[in-house]
Amino acid sequence: MEHEFSLTSETKGACLIIATSGYINNTGGEAILKEFSSHFERGTRKVVINLAHSRVVNSIGMSFLIEIIDQLNEAGGKLVFTNVDPAVDKMLGIMGLFGFAGKEKTVEDALKSFTGSSS
Amino acid sequence: MQETVKLIVELPRIPNIELVAIEGLDRLAAHMGIAEEKIAEARILVTEAVINALEHAGEQNPPVKVEYTMSREEIVILVRDYGSGFDPSTVPEPNVGGAKNLPQQRGWGLKLMKSMSDDFRLESTQDGTKITILKKLV
Repeated sequence: MEHEFSLTSETKGACLIIATSGYINNTGGEAILKEFSSHFERGTRKVVINLAHSRVVNSIGMSFLIEIIDQLNEAGGKLVFTNVDPAVDKMLGIMGLFGFAGKEKTVEDALKSFTGSSS
Repeated sequence: MQETVKLIVELPRIPNIELVAIEGLDRLAAHMGIAEEKIAEARILVTEAVINALEHAGEQNPPVKVEYTMSREEIVILVRDYGSGFDPSTVPEPNVGGAKNLPQQRGWGLKLMKSMSDDFRLESTQDGTKITILKKLV
C-alpha cells in the first residue's frame, strides 16, 4: 500500500477539486489547507475533496479539514467529500464533520450537488 | 493455517512510524485471509493508539510497544508507552459541534478509539500507559 502523501488540484468552473493520495497526517492535512487557502483567497467557495486514494488517515490530519469547513461556511461556501472509504466515513461521522460538509460517491456527483447553490 | 498470529513491534519516536504498525497489521491480515475492508477500521484504531502513545512516550523512555493478537474473528491491539502517564478522566470529551458550532480541531484520538472499537481499556500510571483494544473482524 502506498502511504506517501501527495495531492493534485484542478478547477472545474467555480469548483476546486483537491484529490489526495496516501496518508493524511498533520503534514498532509496542512498541505490540503494550504492548497485550499490559495484558492479561497481568490474567491473559490465550492470545494471537493476526493479521498479515493487515502485509506490511511489520522484525526490530526483530518482536523485540518475543520478549518476549511469553517472558512467556507463563514463565506457561504461548501465542502463536499467524495470517494470516502467506509472506515474513514465512520471516523468523519464520529467527528461530526458531515453536519457541516457534504458527502457524495464521486466527484461528478459532488459537482452536480453544487448546481443551484449561489456561491 | 494457524488459529491466531501474534506480532510485537517496538516503535522509536520518528515521523510517521505508525505506518510501520499499519504495515504489520496489513501483513497479518493478508496472512489470515482477512479482507481489506474488514481491517480498515482497525487501521484507524492502530493509528490513533500509536499517535497517542508517541505523544505521551517522552524523549528518554523506552520505545512504544505494539502487540497484535489476530484470529480470523478478531484482533486484540495492545499499545504501551513508558511515559509519565495521564489521567484519562481529565481529558475532555471532544465537541462534535452543534447547529452553529463546528467540531473542535484536536483531541479526537480517545473518542475515536472508544467509538470504533468493540472493547477499549486504558490503564495509565506514572510508569506509562497501556491501551488495549478489541476489534471484531467478522
